[in-house]
Amino acid sequence: MDPSVENNVRAVRRSKEEKKVLKRQIKASHTLLKHEGISTTSQPTKSLVVANGGLGNGVSREELSAVLKEMGELETLIMHPHKPYAFVTYRSEECARKAHVHLNGEKLQCGGNSVTLYLSFVDSVTCEEEASVPLPEGLVLVEDFVSPEEEAQLLAAIDWSSANDDITAQKALKHRRVKHYGFEFRYDNNNVDKDKPLPAGIPQECLPALELCVRNKHINIMPDQLTVNQYESGQGIPPHVDTHSAFEDTIMSLSLGAQTVMEFRHPDGRLVPVVLPGRSLLVMKGESRYLWTHGITPRKFDTVPACDPQSPALTPPDVRTHSNLTLSKRGTRTSLTFRKIRHEPCRCAFPSACDSQGAPSTSPPSPPSLPRCHDDAAQLEEEYVHRVYDAIASHFSSTRHSPWPQVCHFLSSLPPGSVLADVGCGNGKYLGVSTEVGCDRSSALIQICAERGFQAFVSDALSVPLRSATCDACISIAVIHHFSTQERRLAAVRELVRLLKPGGRALIYVWAFEQEYNKQRSKYLKEQNKEHPENHSPINKASEDSHRPVDNIQDVSKVTDGKLSVHTNRTSFNTQDLLVPWHLKEGKRQGEEESGEGVKKEKRKEKSKKSSGNSCSADSSSSSTRSDCNPDPCPGFDSNMTPGSVQETSDATHSPDSKPSPSDDSAHNTTSAPKSESSPVPVFHRYYHVFQQGELELLCGQVAGVKVQSSYHDQGNWCVILEKDSIEMN
Amino acid sequence: MKLLTHNMLTSHVKGVTKGYPLLIKATEVKMNEVEFNPQFVSRMIPKLEWSALVQAADELGQRQDLPGELVPDYEKNEDFLKKVHRLLLEVEVIEGCLQCPESGREFPISRGIPNMLLSEDEA
Repeated sequence: MDPSVENNVRAVRRSKEEKKVLKRQIKASHTLLKHEGISTTSQPTKSLVVANGGLGNGVSREELSAVLKEMGELETLIMHPHKPYAFVTYRSEECARKAHVHLNGEKLQCGGNSVTLYLSFVDSVTCEEEASVPLPEGLVLVEDFVSPEEEAQLLAAIDWSSANDDITAQKALKHRRVKHYGFEFRYDNNNVDKDKPLPAGIPQECLPALELCVRNKHINIMPDQLTVNQYESGQGIPPHVDTHSAFEDTIMSLSLGAQTVMEFRHPDGRLVPVVLPGRSLLVMKGESRYLWTHGITPRKFDTVPACDPQSPALTPPDVRTHSNLTLSKRGTRTSLTFRKIRHEPCRCAFPSACDSQGAPSTSPPSPPSLPRCHDDAAQLEEEYVHRVYDAIASHFSSTRHSPWPQVCHFLSSLPPGSVLADVGCGNGKYLGVSTEVGCDRSSALIQICAERGFQAFVSDALSVPLRSATCDACISIAVIHHFSTQERRLAAVRELVRLLKPGGRALIYVWAFEQEYNKQRSKYLKEQNKEHPENHSPINKASEDSHRPVDNIQDVSKVTDGKLSVHTNRTSFNTQDLLVPWHLKEGKRQGEEESGEGVKKEKRKEKSKKSSGNSCSADSSSSSTRSDCNPDPCPGFDSNMTPGSVQETSDATHSPDSKPSPSDDSAHNTTSAPKSESSPVPVFHRYYHVFQQGELELLCGQVAGVKVQSSYHDQGNWCVILEKDSIEMN
Repeated sequence: MKLLTHNMLTSHVKGVTKGYPLLIKATEVKMNEVEFNPQFVSRMIPKLEWSALVQAADELGQRQDLPGELVPDYEKNEDFLKKVHRLLLEVEVIEGCLQCPESGREFPISRGIPNMLLSEDEA
C-alpha cells in the first residue's frame, strides 16, 4: 500500500485514546512555549523536548534515559534542575521520530508519582552551559578519605545511648541527633563552655583519621572538640557560620553514610552547592569557615550530578553546572565535625562575621523554650507577645472589628452605670459600652483606643493600677492564653478578682485546644477549606493528625524538650504551648473590603462610639470575610487564611498568595521577619498556651473568694463567668 | 485621660500603701464636648471617690465652685450634675504625668494615654 494512503487509513482509524494523547501533546507544547519560551516544530528533527520528564517533577535521569534509550542511541540528555521537562537529542532523526511516535503519552512511575510524557520536536536545544562556579575560598573536599571498614568502625564508636534526654526529645520532634565530645557546644548561645570540658574526649577510633589529616597538612594541631550530627532523610541544619570566638580556623567534617548536598552562601548572595559523598572529608578554612555560611536544606532528595559510566560524554564534573543532573534520594548521614577550641579572641580578616571583633553573636536559630521561671516567662512574652502586638497593631486592629455576641450579651446584662474594666482591651473592641476603662500591654493598641475616643491606659494584666474592689465587672477576652506559665495565668485571674466588688462578675475567654466541639468545627478551622491544599506541610510527626480533631487528651503531645513549635494556622492544635504565625499586611481602614477567592462581601455596621449607651448591637454577628490572612481565635471574624509552611526549627518564608515555598531553609528568626523570595511579607510569631476543656475552670477554682458561675465553649474558646463572693473574704 | 479614669487609677508600685489618688501634673489639657446625660452622672457619683475628684479638679485649676463634699439630693440638682459631668467627662489631660503620692514615681501621660507600666523591680 502506498505509504500516504496507509497513513490516511491509519489516520481514520486513530482511536479515541490516540486523539486524547495528541490533544495533550499539543497542549503541552503550547504550555512550553508560553511559559518557558520553548518553540516546538512539527518537522521531525533529532531533538525533542520531553514535557513532564523533568527533575522538577520528580523524574530522575536514570529513569528517563532508560525509557528514551529504548528508541535508539542518545547523543545528549539535558535536564535542568527544577524544570518539568527535558531535552533529548538522538544520534539519528529516525530514532527521534520513533520516540515521538511511541513515547507520546507514555506513563512513567517515578518514586511514587506517575507522570505522562509528551514529546515534541524542537529545532535546537539550548544548553545553558554555565561557567563552573568555583568552591568558596579555603574549602577543600577530599573524597574516599576513609575506607568502608573505617567508616563502619567510626559509626560503631558513637555511643548514642548515653547522649542524654535530649535525644528522645530530638526524636519526637524529628530533629537531627547530636552528640558532643570534648566540650559541649551550646545551641542557646552558639558557643562552647570552655571551662567545662565533657567527661568524654574525642573517641580513640577517630585518631587514625585525625593523624592522616595532620600528615596531609590539613591541620597542624589536633582538634579537641567533636560534634556528631546524624541526619535522617528530610532533616537538615539551618545556614550558619561556626562561631569565630569558639573555634580556631580549620574545621573538618567527615561524612559517613549517605551523601548529601551542603550549601555555602556568601553575604553577597552567591550560593554554591557542594555534594558531600559518604566517606569524604570537608575542610573549611579561611573565608569558607569565617565568612560563608554553610547549611543543609531539609530535603528528601538532592539534585546531584549524574554518573553515567556508559556515556562519559553525558557526564559533567559536578552539580555546579546545570547539565546532566539527577535526583538522589537521601539516606541517613552522620557527620563528625572536628574543631579546636579557641582560647584567645579571634583576629580573623572577616570582622563583619566575627563575634570577637564586634559583630553581633548570631542569635541561635533554635526556637524558644517553655520558660521555667518568671524572668524567662517575662522575656518570652516580651518577645513573642508584646513586641509582636506593637509591630502588628494596626493590621491586627483592622481584623478585630466584630464583637462576639456572647461577650456583648454579658456586657448588656450589666446594670446601667456599672463600672467595667477591660483588661487586655486590645483595640477597644468592647469599649464604649458604659463606664469602662480599658488597659492593655501594647501602647500601639491603646493608641488606637484613644483615637477611637475610648478611655484606656497601658499596663500589665498582672499588675493593674486600679484599686481593689472598685469594679462591678471585668472582662478578659483572649488575654490569659498569652501567659507562658501556669503561675502567671493564675496571677492574672487573681488580679481580675481583686478588682471586683463583692458580688461583681468577671468574664474570661481563652483560646481552646479543642477547636472542634460537639462535632462543630470552629470558624477558625472552617476557613481551612478555602485554602490551597499545597500549603500544608508537616511540622512534626503529630501534624499528620493536623486535620483530625483531637478528642482524646492522650493525643496531646507534650512539648518534651520544652521547645515551642510553630503552628500551622487553620489546623487543629497538637500541643498546648505553641507559636502562632501572623502574616503582616498594611493595616486597612475599617470597612474596606477586598476581593479575593471565597471572600464574602458583607456590609458591616459602624458602631456608635458614645461613652454612654450601649453600642453592642444585636447584629454584631456579621461574618465578613476578608482576605486578611490571620485568624482571630474568636467568633465574629472570618478571614481567608494563608497558613505558614514551616520547618521545625526555621521560619516560614512564603508569600501571601499561597505559593508553596521551595527550599525552606531560611535563616532563623524570632519575631523579626524573614522575607520570602517571592514577596516580602513579614511573619510574626505569637506565643499561646491553649486551654484544654476544664482547665480554665480548674485555674479559677484555685482563686479564693470567687465561684465559677458558668462555663461554656464559644467558637473555639473556653469561657467562664466568675462571681465574687458577696462577703469580702480577706 | 479623663478625670473619671483618674478617679479609678492608683499607684501600684511595690510596697506603697498610700498610692491613691495619683497627683496630676498636666502640661496640656483639652476640653471636649460630651452630651450631658443626667442619669448617667447621677449613677456614677456614688461610685466615685469624691475627695479625689475635688483634688484633681484643684490640680488642674478646674475646680470652680465644686463643693468639697457631696451635696444632699444631688440627683435632682441639674446644675450640680452638669458641673460633675464637665469635670468627669469633658476635661481631658493630654500631656503630663501622674505621680505616686508616696514614692514620687511618675507615670507619663502622652497623647491622652497614661502609661502605667512598672519596671521589673517596681512590680
